[in-house]
Amino acid sequence: MQIRNFSIIAHIDHGKSTLADRLLQSTSAVSEREARQQFLDDMDLERERGITIKASSVTVRHMHNGEEFMLNFIDTPGHVDFAYEVSRALTACEGAILVVDSTQGVEAQTVANAYLAANNDLDMIPVVNKIDLPGARPDEIAMEVEQALGLPAEDCIYCSAKTGQGIDELLSAICDKLPPPREAVTDKTRALIFDSHYDDYRGVVVYIRMFDGKLKVGDKIRMMGVGRTFQVTELGKYTPKPTKVKTLGPGETGYVIASIKTLKDVRVGDTITLDIDPAAEPLPGYEEPHQMVFCDFYPASGGDSKGSNIEELREAIEKLSLNDASFTYFAVHSEALGFGFRCGFLGLLHMDIIQERLEREGGVEIIQTAPTVTYELVTTEGKTIEIHNPADLPDPSIWKELREPIVRLDIIVPVEFIGDIMTLCGDRRGVYKSQTVISEDRQILIYELPLGEIIYDFYDKLKSMTRGYGTMDYEIVGFRTDRLAKVDILINGQPVEALSFISHRDTAEKRGRHLLTRLKKEISRHQFEIPLQAAIGGKVIARETIKSMGKNVTAKCYGGDVSRKRKLLDKQKAGKKRMKSIGSVEVPQEAFMAVLDQGE
Amino acid sequence: MATHIEPIPILSSTQRHSAAEALDLPHEPAKSLYIHVPFCFHKCHYCDFYSFVDSQDRQEAFVASLQRELAALAPHADAASGLNTVFIGGGTPSLLRPDLWRCLLATLDDHFKLDAIRRGEGEFTVECNPETVSPELMTILAGGAVNRVSVGAQSFNLVHLKTLERWHEPRNVQRALQLAADAGIERRSVDLIYAIPGQTLADVATDLDTALALDPGVEHVSAYCLTYEPNTAMTKRVERGDFTPIDEDLCAEMQTLVNETLNRAGFDRYEVSNFAKRISNGSGSAQSQHNLAYWRNDSWLAAGPSASGHVVTRDETTGIPAGARWKNVPRLSDWMDGVNATAASPVIDLELPDPRRTFTERLMMGIRLAEGLPASDLLKQAEALNSAPKLQAAAQRLQGQGHLQIEVDRWRLTEQGFLFADGVASELMDAVRLDAS
Repeated sequence: MQIRNFSIIAHIDHGKSTLADRLLQSTSAVSEREARQQFLDDMDLERERGITIKASSVTVRHMHNGEEFMLNFIDTPGHVDFAYEVSRALTACEGAILVVDSTQGVEAQTVANAYLAANNDLDMIPVVNKIDLPGARPDEIAMEVEQALGLPAEDCIYCSAKTGQGIDELLSAICDKLPPPREAVTDKTRALIFDSHYDDYRGVVVYIRMFDGKLKVGDKIRMMGVGRTFQVTELGKYTPKPTKVKTLGPGETGYVIASIKTLKDVRVGDTITLDIDPAAEPLPGYEEPHQMVFCDFYPASGGDSKGSNIEELREAIEKLSLNDASFTYFAVHSEALGFGFRCGFLGLLHMDIIQERLEREGGVEIIQTAPTVTYELVTTEGKTIEIHNPADLPDPSIWKELREPIVRLDIIVPVEFIGDIMTLCGDRRGVYKSQTVISEDRQILIYELPLGEIIYDFYDKLKSMTRGYGTMDYEIVGFRTDRLAKVDILINGQPVEALSFISHRDTAEKRGRHLLTRLKKEISRHQFEIPLQAAIGGKVIARETIKSMGKNVTAKCYGGDVSRKRKLLDKQKAGKKRMKSIGSVEVPQEAFMAVLDQGE
Repeated sequence: MATHIEPIPILSSTQRHSAAEALDLPHEPAKSLYIHVPFCFHKCHYCDFYSFVDSQDRQEAFVASLQRELAALAPHADAASGLNTVFIGGGTPSLLRPDLWRCLLATLDDHFKLDAIRRGEGEFTVECNPETVSPELMTILAGGAVNRVSVGAQSFNLVHLKTLERWHEPRNVQRALQLAADAGIERRSVDLIYAIPGQTLADVATDLDTALALDPGVEHVSAYCLTYEPNTAMTKRVERGDFTPIDEDLCAEMQTLVNETLNRAGFDRYEVSNFAKRISNGSGSAQSQHNLAYWRNDSWLAAGPSASGHVVTRDETTGIPAGARWKNVPRLSDWMDGVNATAASPVIDLELPDPRRTFTERLMMGIRLAEGLPASDLLKQAEALNSAPKLQAAAQRLQGQGHLQIEVDRWRLTEQGFLFADGVASELMDAVRLDAS
């Protein structure tokens, strides 16, 4: 039996999950009755947001030209933040189906994903999808594919995942054009772990791609990287229902259950071999995911109402981390917000999704601080320290160099907006790299700019400046030094670590002033004047003043007013209890979010 | 434990909580009485006092019920010395028909001892609307022991009066005072309102000058910064954007101007919004003795719909005062039904004695007075509540902030403190909370 291992890659919303569902249906793996939309996305959140977060693999059988094929296909997330998960899914494949929406054309993530596939030496089948839509321009889009990605336009398969048109042609192409798995190079067992998830009843479920040798139920396996051994209790494939098998051989994909109690024992990218007859070398793995965006989560203390406490938050985070090994967390304590967790994410969407899942699945209410990127500090002693929080920066006297992460940013925009976008990138310290024509009216702009400049609102800006037509993707290309400084915020003369931020010196004043303006709105007038200052190393670069309260006295207070008045004053006091007191200034929790809004 | 009863719609008045629940407790005999007359010809937008526009026919029924209620309240007044103060407010008490006034005053005389008032040692005030007073009414009042009138001038500027939806002629304030003086009522007060939207500092100065130039003159001025009470038409109009409230800083400037102007004219501020002329008037002070009873947290009786009362009991555990408060139902028909059935008014709010609550109320009300709070007595009570050190610390903190002046036996607001009386009260009150930490 022939085997084909492939992934479907696409820009978000170009119809990847729908196409996957249609393929399953066409091979009769899923009955009409079972065909819920987006069969492979098994989290509510995925279905709701219409995006795929966790990769899954499915095995189906298909008859082509009288021959039986085993098609293993591995679903991938589409978004830029999950490039890491995409690339590890791709390592398990020999081919990829590149889906492009026939009304939208090639977008930034199409390009990024195509690069990933090419880097993994995958053969690609370009598919122009949604040809049933009234605005479909399949021929033009096929030309875009050729222009932007170098895949011949005539190779594009036109289809509609919705109506089923072109699906048979696609299945044939998968069988005819994608290569079979490579031959086994050794008889020792080697299987690549490309994903895992935690199941409440069965423990860790490990997704593997067999490269060499065999695995069977009862085998004692060894994780070559982690070094731990387990007894295989179940082997299987998703068809897409979990279906047990006795053995898995070269080229196949499937899952392994081996009484593994924690995801910590499983490292994606690791190689599984047999304990009694181990392979000499592991398969080439992947790099560890690198968390580039950090923020703190604190339980939202909702006053007397049902707020969440730190224990509930810890439980929710621990549970979630069982299923998402790509976010990190550790306990922190903030002067202003109490106990919480600093969490690291692959990107901004990843952060949003984690927050939403914690609130939804964990049932906790969260206060999230402004995201910050990872900086590298080289000290005068020559040591390099990773800085995940401006508050952790040591005294500037031992700084030699402060480096910030730089990304290569691919932006695809209609030509009419190119000037605006170049201005935007320039304002964000972007360095122009190149420009490629995709079609008559669209181009790819490539810039290098600091990650810190795009994490807050760059994407929103891009979307609004291009009326929604612009798309972007980025990739970290390294760390670079610049004129960076830590900006301290002082309330009533007292520095507030939770509000400090790292900024380029040229924009520090503007950002500082903007933050102070926001703080001024959030902090109510006190009985005394409150100076607000932004400072770099003791030098004040911006200041604001919250005027003292003019008066606070009830004009009329007679016999009939006592009860009501007393309750009012009590309430005022209770309200203050929920605030953080900094140098006798009552600061509401909202003020700590002010850093989020950068303004322009 | 404090009991706070939310208003609950119950059909039968007998099922409601009643003022009798507070009055039947063993309490200090009351020396003050407040009577609420709920009639108005127009409901003012800034007012959240219970009042309504009513036809004459309910006035008789109202007075009949009031007579019943007063008779039932009488045993709770001080039997030996009688009432020291009576205050009849509203609404617009001067709208009550003269013959009904006669009835009401006669009833008071029948049930309560008014000797101190008659001797001029006590005080009997009636609130008057400048437009509705007549020589006949003033004569009746004077004959019924009334020795003080409070005239609602608010402003002497027609534009600002219109904003307040006050429709009287400014010159009628003078006329009302003249009628009172002619009838022999020697103690006269006017109410002013400032920080009316559109008003300038100069406008406030003009109003003050006009009030001070009144002839016959007044011995007392109440000057209130306009406040926006919830559920009043005035607040609704602000929310609708009809006009913008005066900015907080300007309000503070106006308050300072009011204080300085009245001071120069010989009036001393003895409470946040109240000023008394520095002359002797027989009883020795132009301050409102009735209102002082509120601010000093004494006992007083209450009659009429929506009137609030307070009687002081002694807490057995701590040995310090604990007051019971109540508020009569506001609806005229509910109140009449209740009083006609049991002679006691049904209440919408009832708080049974709690020494800690009473203590915080004492702080809240007492701090408003220029005389301040009697420190040693206060600390002794705070000791009984295990809160003395915290209270002392709060006072010292407030002194540090320049709001409070600590003297040998008095804690009083400083000039600046008068602008922040609520903040000071809330700090002091917080120090004696049970859960204060």
